[in-house]
Amino acid sequence: MRQFLPFFSLSLLSFLSTTCGATSTTSDTAAADYHEQLVLRPLPQSALLASFNFRSNITVSEFEAHNFRFFPRSLGQILQHAGTRELHLRFGLGRWDSESWGARPWDGAREGGTGVELWAWLEAQSDEEADHKWLTLTNALSGLFCASLNFIDGTRTTRPVMSFQPEGDHPNTTATDTHLLYGVLPHEVVCTENLTPFLKLLPCKGKAGIATLLDGHKLFDASWQSMAIDVRPICPAGGECVLQIELTIDMVLDIDRSKRPRDNPIPRPPPGHELPCNTSKPYHSHDTCFPADHEANQDWTLSQIFGRSMKGTCPLTDSKVPPVCLQVPNSRAVYHSDGVLEKKNLDRISRCFEIKPDADFEIVLPNPRDDQENNQGAITHIVKPETPLLYAERSFTGHGQERGGMQTILRNPSPDTAVEFIYMESLPWFMRIYLHTMSARIDGQSGKDESLVKEVYYRPAVDRARATQLEVRMRVPPASTVFLTYDFEKSILRYTEYPPDANRGFDVAAAVITILNSANEAVYNLRTTTLLCSLPTPDFSMPYNVIIFTSTAIALAFGGMFNILVRRFVAADEGPEVGLAAVKAKLKGRLAVLAKRFGGAGAKKGVVEEVKPVPVADVKE
Amino acid sequence: MPRLLSSALALRRDPRILKIPPYISLLCILVGTVWLFLLPLDEYSRRTYISENALLPGQVHTYFGGSDQNVLRAYKQEVNALVGKSNVEINDQLESIVKGLGLKTARQNFTYHAAGRTYEGENLYAILQAPRGDATEAIVLVAAWENVKHEVNRNGMPLVLTLARYFKRWSLWSKDIIILLSPDSIYGPQAWVDAYHDAHDSSHVSSLPLKSGALQGAIAIDYSQEHRFESVHIVYDGVNGQLPNLDLINSVVNIAGGQMGMGVALQEMWQHNNKYPQRLRTMLRGMLKQGLGLASGPHSSFIPYHVDAVTLRPFGEGWQDEMAMGRVVEGTFRSLNNLLEHLHQSFFFYLLMHRERFVSIGTYLPSAMLVAANFTIMAIFLWMKSGQPEPASTAPSSAESEKSAPPPTVERDLFLPLGVVTLCQFASAIPLYLFNQAPESALTPLFTTFLLINTALPFALSQFLTSFYAPSLQQYHLIKSFSLLLLGMFLSALATLNFSLAMIIGLLAAPLSFVGPFPNSPVASIICFVLLNIISPPAVLFASALYWGLDVTSVLREAAVAWHVTGTYSAVVVWCVWWPAWLAASVSVLGRPEAGHKKVKTA
Repeated sequence: MRQFLPFFSLSLLSFLSTTCGATSTTSDTAAADYHEQLVLRPLPQSALLASFNFRSNITVSEFEAHNFRFFPRSLGQILQHAGTRELHLRFGLGRWDSESWGARPWDGAREGGTGVELWAWLEAQSDEEADHKWLTLTNALSGLFCASLNFIDGTRTTRPVMSFQPEGDHPNTTATDTHLLYGVLPHEVVCTENLTPFLKLLPCKGKAGIATLLDGHKLFDASWQSMAIDVRPICPAGGECVLQIELTIDMVLDIDRSKRPRDNPIPRPPPGHELPCNTSKPYHSHDTCFPADHEANQDWTLSQIFGRSMKGTCPLTDSKVPPVCLQVPNSRAVYHSDGVLEKKNLDRISRCFEIKPDADFEIVLPNPRDDQENNQGAITHIVKPETPLLYAERSFTGHGQERGGMQTILRNPSPDTAVEFIYMESLPWFMRIYLHTMSARIDGQSGKDESLVKEVYYRPAVDRARATQLEVRMRVPPASTVFLTYDFEKSILRYTEYPPDANRGFDVAAAVITILNSANEAVYNLRTTTLLCSLPTPDFSMPYNVIIFTSTAIALAFGGMFNILVRRFVAADEGPEVGLAAVKAKLKGRLAVLAKRFGGAGAKKGVVEEVKPVPVADVKE
Repeated sequence: MPRLLSSALALRRDPRILKIPPYISLLCILVGTVWLFLLPLDEYSRRTYISENALLPGQVHTYFGGSDQNVLRAYKQEVNALVGKSNVEINDQLESIVKGLGLKTARQNFTYHAAGRTYEGENLYAILQAPRGDATEAIVLVAAWENVKHEVNRNGMPLVLTLARYFKRWSLWSKDIIILLSPDSIYGPQAWVDAYHDAHDSSHVSSLPLKSGALQGAIAIDYSQEHRFESVHIVYDGVNGQLPNLDLINSVVNIAGGQMGMGVALQEMWQHNNKYPQRLRTMLRGMLKQGLGLASGPHSSFIPYHVDAVTLRPFGEGWQDEMAMGRVVEGTFRSLNNLLEHLHQSFFFYLLMHRERFVSIGTYLPSAMLVAANFTIMAIFLWMKSGQPEPASTAPSSAESEKSAPPPTVERDLFLPLGVVTLCQFASAIPLYLFNQAPESALTPLFTTFLLINTALPFALSQFLTSFYAPSLQQYHLIKSFSLLLLGMFLSALATLNFSLAMIIGLLAAPLSFVGPFPNSPVASIICFVLLNIISPPAVLFASALYWGLDVTSVLREAAVAWHVTGTYSAVVVWCVWWPAWLAASVSVLGRPEAGHKKVKTA
C-alpha cells in the first residue's frame, strides 16, 4: 500500500474530491455540470507535462430525451444509436519516458498506445448483434474524429476478458447483455485533423478557457501526447444516474523546442557567445566550449510554451474548480498576470490559479536561482517524479523473415512489494504465436519460473478473420526483472493483402499492462511501445518479370520442344503433297469436276485424286 | 527440319563429337574471363541513379556549423585527453558526456576467443529517442575508438558526440538515432549487432539492456586524420561479400560529391579519372575484397542483418573540415530519416567501378556462371567418356556396327569413384577445423606441415588406390567427373551469393578441368602434378601472402578470427570446395590405370 499512497497525493484532482476512480460516492459529480482544468508539471530534462481535463455530466433521463446540454450532441447520438454504455477512445503519439519522467499522469488510465485505441461496452443480446453495433460505432466515430477507425474490423477486434473493467456503474445489467469490444490501430498517425473535432466537443469550443492553449502546432510537436475521451454512466448512491464525458489531453512538451519562435523553427546553432559553456574546463576559450545544456531552460512562460496566452475562462465552467494548477515546489518563485489569485496547496508541491473570466492569463516561471551550484540543486526546482510501479519494455528478438520472438522486460522497482498485473497483447493474425514457447524467467536465474505466470487466456487467431488475443496474469517479485518471451511464425500474405508500403513492415499494437491491487482493481495502466514486424515481402516488380520471362520461355523453348516431341516426321514423298503442288492438284481436281459436270461423264481424264483436307506434313501419332 | 534432325542424330553417333566438350569448356573459361574485362566499358556498365524517391539526397539545407564547432573543439580536447587510457575509463568519460546531452546510455561487454587470442571490450551506446516517434525504427551512427588500422578515431569521436548534441535539437526525426561508440572496428560492432538481433552467444557477448526498433541503416565515421581533408572514401564491403543497398552509396555520393562538393573515392582508389584501366582496377579491388569476405570496417557487421551500412573515411589534403564531414552525415541522416520503407528499391548485387558507374548482377553473373559451367561440361563429358568402351577394344566392333546400333555403353563401376570423392570431401573438414581452431603460435608450423602433407597426400592416396583397388581408366574418369560435378554445382550456387569468391575460385580451379591420368607417360604425370601443386590451395595462399607482403600467420589468424567473430565462410569454400577438387584431380593425374582390368559389355 505504501506504493499507492503517493499517487493519490500526486493526482491534483484528488483534493478536489472528484477523482477518475469514479465509482466513489461523490455528491458533487452530479452538481457540477461542467468543469475544466489544466495542470502543468515541469519534468526533468527540460520537459513540461500539461494535462488538460474537461468534464461534463448529463443525467440519463435528459440524455434519453435528447436534451444535451454540455454533452456533445454529435457524440451522444452516436452512442445512443450504437447502444454504447461506456466508451473509451484514445489517440496517442510518442512515448512516455518513465525512466526520467516517472509515473504516468492519471496512473496511466487516460492514455493509449501509439495510434488509436477504442474499447466500449455495448448493449447487445448476442455476439453478432454486438459485432454489428461495434461496426456502426467504429464507422460513426471514424467520421466524427477524422480517423480511420472504420479499419477496426474483425481482424483487429478482440474481446478482452481480464484486462479491462468498466469504470462506470452499470447497475441493472447482466454480463450477458453487455459486451466489451476492443480495437486498436497502431499505424494511425494522430494529427491536427483529429484535434479539431475533439475541440468541437467542448462547450467553449476552444474559444475561451484553457482550451485556447490547444494549438495543433504545439500539441503535435510534443514528445508524448495522448487524447482521451471517456464516456461512462455514474450512479451516485441515492441520486440519479448521470452520464459523464471526460475529455483529457496530456502532453509532454520539450521546453527547449517549444520556446523556439514559430517563424524560425530551425534549430540553427546559436551565436558562439550565447552558448552556455562550462567555464571550469581548462581549455575553455572563445572558440572552445564544453556545453552546459542540461542546466538551461528551466524558465518558461505560458505564451512561450503554447504559442499564445490563455484567454480568460470558459464561462460555463464550475467556478469552484481553479482552471490552472502548477506543480512546482512552493519555494520556487512564479510570476503571473494581474487579477489572478494564486493559492498554494498544503502539499507544498502545487499551487493553483483563479482567473477572472475575461482577463488574459499568463504565468512566468523564471530560471531558478543558482544558489545551489551542485547537480542536486536542479532537482529541487521541480517536483521529484514518482517511481512507477512497473517498467515495461518490449522488443522483437531474432531476425529473418520466417520466425521471430517477442521479449518483454518487466522490472519492478519496488524493494518490498510484488506487482501483480495482466499483460495483454492483441496481435495481428499473420503473427502466429507458439504458445508453448511462452516462458517467464527472472533475470539472473536460469530456466523459467513457473510461479510467475498465474493465468493465461489465449484465443488463437483465425487467418484473415480474427486477431490473436493473449492475456497473461503475472506477478513480478519485488526488486526483480522478469523476461516474458515467446516465439512466433510469420505467415506469407497473399499478393493483394500487402499495403502499398509493404517493405516498411507491419505495426504491432502496444501491449496493455493493467496492474491490479489486492482487491483485483486496476490501479495503474501502462502500455509498451508499438513494434514493426517485417514479413516476407515479395519483390513486387517480380510478378511482372516472371510473367514476361515465363511467357517468353514457353513461347520459344516449350513451344518448339512440344512441336518436335508430338510430331512424327515422315519423308516428303510419303506424305500428302505440300505447297504449290497441292494447290495445283486441288485446282485441277475442281476443274475436272467442273469439266465432268459440263462436259458429260468421263469426258477427259479417268480418275481425279481426292485431296484430303489434312494439315500438311504433320500427322499426329 | 527433318533433315536437320536426322543429321543431328547422325552427329550424335559420331565419335568426333566427344572431342568437342573440352574445347567448349575452354571457350567457357575464356568467354567468362573476357566478359569480366568487358564490364568496365561504357556499353556494359550503367550510370548509378537513385531508385528510392523518398531519399531525396542533398535536397535539404544542412545547418551543422557555427557555434557547434566550438563544441566540437571542446569534445576533441576531451577525446585527446583519453587517448591511451583503458576501455572502461574511456567509456566512463564518454558516457558522462553523452548523458549530459540527455540521451539514454547503456554498455555491453563482449569477449571473443579466436586463434588462441582473446578479443574483449566494452561497447557504449546511446539512444536519441525520436522526439515524436515511438521505438519502431532506428538508424545508427557508429564511431569506433580505433579503426581497422588501429589508429585512434581522433576526429570521428568528437564529431559523433557533437552530431548527437546537434541532432537532439531537431524535432523532425522519425526514427530513433542510436549512437554506438565501440572500442574497435570489428569485434565491438559485431557483438552489438548480434546482441541487438538476439543472435549472440550470451556466454561471450552480453545482451543489450536498452533497445530501440528495427534498424534501417547505419553510418560509421572513421576520421582519424588530424588535418583537413579533400575527399571522402566510402567503404561498403560487408562480411562474406554482402553489400549495402546501392541507394545508400548513391545518396552519400550525391550528398558528399554533389551537395558538398568534395571528392568521393571507392576501394582506396585515391585518384580516379573514370577511364577503363582505373575502372577495372576499382572493380577488381572490389571483387578481391568481396571474395575474401572479411569485415572492412564497423559497418560490415550490420549488412548480414539486412541493415544497410557504409563507413565514411575522409582522406587527402584539402580544405574540408570536420564540420563539412558533419554536414555530410547530417544530410545522409536526413535522407535516411525520409525513408518510409526499408531500403529495398535499388540493387544489392552490383560491382562498382567508379562512384557513378556500376554493373548489376544480370550483367556480371554470366561470367562466373560460364566459369562454373566449364566444370559441369567437363563432368558430363567425362561421364560420357567413361561409358564408352576404350578405343583399342572397340575399334573392330565399331567398324561392323557403324550405322545400325547405337554406340555400345560400358557398365560403370561407381563404388570406388564415389568413395574417393566422398573421402576427399570429408577429409576437407580436417584442414578447416585445424586452421580455425589452432592457436596463433601453432599456425605457422601447422601451415608448413600441411603444405608438405598436401604435396605428399596425392602420392600416398594414389599408391594406396593402385595397390589395393587397381582402378581402371574409367574409374579415374569417374573420380574426376564426380569431383568436377560437385565443383561446378557449388560454384554456380556460390556465384549467386558471392560472385567474386566464385569467380576467383573458379579461375584458380580452372586447370583442374583439363588434367587427367597419363597412362603411358609417368614423366608427364609428374610434370603435371608439379604444375598442379603450384595452384594448390595452400600454395596459392602462400604465394598471395608473399605478393601482398603479408605474413602467412597473420593471414591465417585473420581468417580464423573472421570465421569465429564475423562468420566469414571463405575458408569453407577454400577447404571444402576447392581443396577436395584439387585433391581428386591430383589423384587422377598420378593415377596408373590398369589396362587389363576392365569389364566391357556391349549393350
